[in-house]
Amino acid sequence: MAAEHLDIRNDESPAPAGDSSALGIYLALTALAGFVTTVIWAATSAGYYWPRWVWFAFGVPLAFWAAVRRAREVPRRSERRLAIHGAVAGVLSLMQIVVWWFGDPGTFWPIWPIQVFVTTVAVHALIVYRDRLPFRRARVLTERVDELTRTRRGALDVQAAELRRIERDLHDGAQARLVALSMQLGRAEERLESQPEIAELVRRARLEAGNAIAELRDLARGIAPPVLADRGLAAAVDALGRRSPMPVVVEVYLDRRLTPVVETAAYFVVAEALTNVAKHAGGAPARVMVRQAGNRLAIDVSDDGPGGANPAGSGLTGLRHRVEALDGSLAVASTAEGTSVHAELPCES
Amino acid sequence: MRVVIAEDNALLREGLVALLREKGIDVVAQAEDGAGLVRIVGGHKPDLAIVDVRLPPSFTDEGVRAAIEARRRQPGLGILILSQYVEPVYTQELLAAGDGGIGYLLKERVGEVRAFLDAVERVAAGGTALDREVVAELMGARRERAGDAALDALTPREREVLGLMAEGRTNAAIARSLVITSGAVEKHISNIFGKLDLPATDDDHRRVLAVLAFLQAG
Repeated sequence: MAAEHLDIRNDESPAPAGDSSALGIYLALTALAGFVTTVIWAATSAGYYWPRWVWFAFGVPLAFWAAVRRAREVPRRSERRLAIHGAVAGVLSLMQIVVWWFGDPGTFWPIWPIQVFVTTVAVHALIVYRDRLPFRRARVLTERVDELTRTRRGALDVQAAELRRIERDLHDGAQARLVALSMQLGRAEERLESQPEIAELVRRARLEAGNAIAELRDLARGIAPPVLADRGLAAAVDALGRRSPMPVVVEVYLDRRLTPVVETAAYFVVAEALTNVAKHAGGAPARVMVRQAGNRLAIDVSDDGPGGANPAGSGLTGLRHRVEALDGSLAVASTAEGTSVHAELPCES
Repeated sequence: MRVVIAEDNALLREGLVALLREKGIDVVAQAEDGAGLVRIVGGHKPDLAIVDVRLPPSFTDEGVRAAIEARRRQPGLGILILSQYVEPVYTQELLAAGDGGIGYLLKERVGEVRAFLDAVERVAAGGTALDREVVAELMGARRERAGDAALDALTPREREVLGLMAEGRTNAAIARSLVITSGAVEKHISNIFGKLDLPATDDDHRRVLAVLAFLQAG
């Protein structure tokens, strides 16, 4: 019983099983009719083979069915419609030819309706494949590039926002809990003065909690330094300059907060460039200029050191990838007079 | 000593209150955001405000800005900032924000109960308590400056003493921390001031400011 129920449910699947069984019955009946009429034809005159019209009635639905069935297997919706259109037009054309051949093979009149069918199918095909026409192709590609640029930018924005959210969650979640833990361990330690051995164990546990907090802090700082999220690019770049071991002149011209992804990229360009100056320029002073002009953000970091920066070094390569992902550019010039890093980032609001 | 606390995380706020009360410190009011801090400082006239850097609604540096505003309204208010990260920019802003004690400590230092209470008392009394990470960062930056021979002229022990002074520690605390006598600490300090050419002073607060000015100079 259960199996029967299951079968019934399977029959409810969207496959047009009813259509083909109706077609089967029709074909069986017309085939039978064709056979019977052929027998009658043979028994009577055996002249003009008139039962061919019965066979014609047998063949037309079969041809439609076969052609449409194949056309429906085309996966893309618009191409599938075209295929069905083509199949129907093809079978209709064939029908005309057969009718012409069965009848009076004089003027080849089916040429006219066939021309109409071919024209409609051709127009339909042009519509479906319009994007492959040469003049359309360039525009379609341009639109596609625009769309990809926009979506990639969106993905990067989402990623930057997501990273800041993770940083905030770490701060409010795991870090806060570890801080609460180390507070409580500290209080416990205070009360264990009379049992120094246990107090020592608690102290070590507290130090471990402190190490975990420090590791989480380093992780969060690598995502985006707090001052960048809190105060924006100008304050963060200023802080970088002040923290550098060599004298740094910082000039920032911005008229608004930039998106997190641009801020972070610009920040890391300045940070990495200043780190390089500190490492290789022998204490020579550095200049940082961050300037927003329209929809471009230009970043320049230069020093008067002895040069010799390797633009293919891992630090600069990492920076270049970061900048290019935003459709920006990074150029490094290093001569005996000094080294300069110039980056440009698009920053439309 | 009357203390107010501004901390949005209930777990940390309650832990802090419990710790301070256990040690007999009077926590007179608590706030969860910057505006609340300014309000309770106005209402309770505390000696010290212990403030989390990140507070609602902005969750950025609300705590620093609210604390500076609270001090503008109540000059002399001690401000002890607790933060989960070191940000020298904020320390500098706080140090520049008028008279009164200033502290900037990483939150986990609260677990070092004695040192933390020491810092609380120092800041409430108008002194300074800077986290050793803040000092290390300032020292590191200063040390790497090209041509800076001044720090290199100090012995390693003197550099340690300089760091502890910059944290705002008293002579007695420095002596305890390094396990040396007060006399030895005084001798180190006078050597340091001589080598760095800083004006000698008995005032702890002025001394800290002189040391910090030196570390930030150049």
